[in-house]
Amino acid sequence: MVEDKTVLKVEDIYKSYGTQEVLKGVTFEIHKGETKVISGPSGAGKSTLLRCINLLTRPDKGRVWLEGVELTDPNVDINKQRAKIGFVFQQFNLFNHLTALQNVMIGLLKVKKMPKEKALEKAKEALLKVHITEDLWHKYPAQLSGGQQQRVGIARALAMEPVIILYDEPTSALDPQLIGEVLQVMKELSSQKVTSLVVTHEIGFAISVADELMFMYDGKIIEKGPPKEVVFRPKTDAAREFFRRIAELYGEQ
Amino acid sequence: METFVSYIPYILMGLPMTFLLLGGGLALGFGIGLPLAMGHVYGAVPIKRIIDFYVWFFRGTPLIVLLFLFYWGVFPALGIPLDAVTTSIIVIGLRSGAYQSQIFRGAFHSVPEGQYVAARAIGMGKYQAIFSIIVPQVLRIAIPPWSNEYAGVLKDTAICFSLGVLEALRRTSYVAIAINEALLPYIFVGFLYLVLTYAGTGVLNRIYERVKIPGLVGRL
Amino acid sequence: MGLEGFYAQLPQAILTTLSILVLAIPISIAWGIFLGSARVYGGKILSTIATGFVVLFRGFPLIVTLLFIFYGLPEIGIYLTPFWSAVLGFVLCSGAYQSEYVRGAIRSIDMGQIEAARSLGMTKFQELIHIVLPQALRRALPGVSNEVIYLNKYSSLAYAIGVIEIFQVSKKWSSWTFEAIPIFLTAAAIYLTINTVTTFGFRALEHKLRIPGLEIEKTR
Repeated sequence: MVEDKTVLKVEDIYKSYGTQEVLKGVTFEIHKGETKVISGPSGAGKSTLLRCINLLTRPDKGRVWLEGVELTDPNVDINKQRAKIGFVFQQFNLFNHLTALQNVMIGLLKVKKMPKEKALEKAKEALLKVHITEDLWHKYPAQLSGGQQQRVGIARALAMEPVIILYDEPTSALDPQLIGEVLQVMKELSSQKVTSLVVTHEIGFAISVADELMFMYDGKIIEKGPPKEVVFRPKTDAAREFFRRIAELYGEQ
Repeated sequence: METFVSYIPYILMGLPMTFLLLGGGLALGFGIGLPLAMGHVYGAVPIKRIIDFYVWFFRGTPLIVLLFLFYWGVFPALGIPLDAVTTSIIVIGLRSGAYQSQIFRGAFHSVPEGQYVAARAIGMGKYQAIFSIIVPQVLRIAIPPWSNEYAGVLKDTAICFSLGVLEALRRTSYVAIAINEALLPYIFVGFLYLVLTYAGTGVLNRIYERVKIPGLVGRL
Repeated sequence: MGLEGFYAQLPQAILTTLSILVLAIPISIAWGIFLGSARVYGGKILSTIATGFVVLFRGFPLIVTLLFIFYGLPEIGIYLTPFWSAVLGFVLCSGAYQSEYVRGAIRSIDMGQIEAARSLGMTKFQELIHIVLPQALRRALPGVSNEVIYLNKYSSLAYAIGVIEIFQVSKKWSSWTFEAIPIFLTAAAIYLTINTVTTFGFRALEHKLRIPGLEIEKTR
């Protein structure tokens, strides 16, 4: 049997902004190859949680471990650890002054200090994996559609060969017709056992590939389980209300 | 050190002259700049070209060249031998007018399109609309870049030392010769200008905070 | 008649002016980038020192800085030739102004770019060099080119510390020949030409650096 390895462990995360307490004690684990989804109403703290995981935001309390290394330890080399976490942003955040290919290569060149030829090869691989073809490689982000930009964003994260990819509402900023192509890529990666933590409203995605769905409400995870369980047989009122609304919005899944 | 300190009053006595050049230059610049801006925004193409040339010439030529050109050349040739102080004010004003015209032009373009149309729609005539609706906004929007112009003209006054005008810098140079020391005098006058610059822009900022139009950010 | 003398000395003077500019412009831009970056990315000490330089040399008129360097520094043992005093003065003064544009541009870079850089594991320094500056410098370019135009004109002040450049030669020959108008107009024309060439140069540079699809914000 393949050894069950804990890739990410999040323990008791608290975060406040001024007097507003956004995260009120979040704890969970992700094992190698798993895809977990976090869903919930806006303001529940989902984005903040992701940013606390790769320390873009420092949690007030609580600890995070990546493959056994404690990220919240002030002595840890956070840049080195961040290179092992892929992050896909809602607003894509592709580097505006670089082409798609350069966007994917830059982390390999500057952070992983790869030689140029190797970086080029790995970048092309990653781009092809997200179905970005050669004709787009030399285009600048402003010349690409939202769906294309986000897929390049995923490639950029993928090329670094991270141990986990964090997705922060990756399709929320996309026009409806472009959402599908990004979800498709994410589904493929999940089925290839790329460890993923996805914050999203796309319940269809959760149901089809996620190993677990965590429902977050008011700064805490109040329900978790297999996606179909949580969506169709929620135990809490908040979850019931939320998924009912989603079902209304998207129709039958 | 003690000798220099005793000369400080002498340097400070140049400040009234500095302020005269500053005030006169800025005022003349305003009197030229605002009309030029309006001429460019509302005028026909030939007018725009003339204004463009004026701006190009007075912004592109070093101030010191302009000072000498007018003092030794233009005014004598016109038969009106103006003194150094008057010439300085006029030349600074002509130059500042060119810069201020650009500032006000930018401010005119920052006023939302609909303002003029709305003013006409309630029955205002062309000039009434411009002066009672547009210009008040323009003046407010222009304050931040104008405070840069204030700082610029303040430094321009120092250049007038070259015509022999007894403003702060010229006096400082005399002091340096008199006491055979240059470091202290020039550091002193440098800080004098520094303080005047930041005090002045600080005042202008405060004025701006009080009169600015909420929601409409001034273009910088 | 007496103008031959002027025209004879002019070429060398132009060369001197251009030599000063060819040195001062790139060095002041580099210094401006350093100061602007230091104020945003430097630690407490570095950013405070950088801010000090900016406040000081924006507050001191350029002429005072020049006089201070050439006449004052020898008192503490630093002897610079007129030429190098001029270059240093221009770098310190123009660099301070340019750093404001750089700093503003750096701060205008979208947070998302920075988060993405950090998520890849880049250090703050890498983030600055590879992600922030390449974008910020494109935005700062209009402002920087503006400052370079100022530098072109203010190079004329080098006459005050003995540099034999365009204005100095004009001044000398206009008093010998009393032909002020043609001489100073010629000087003006030369500076205007230098400025026009510089403007076109920067415009071409802006065009070359344009990122396809992305509009560069205009700063003035």
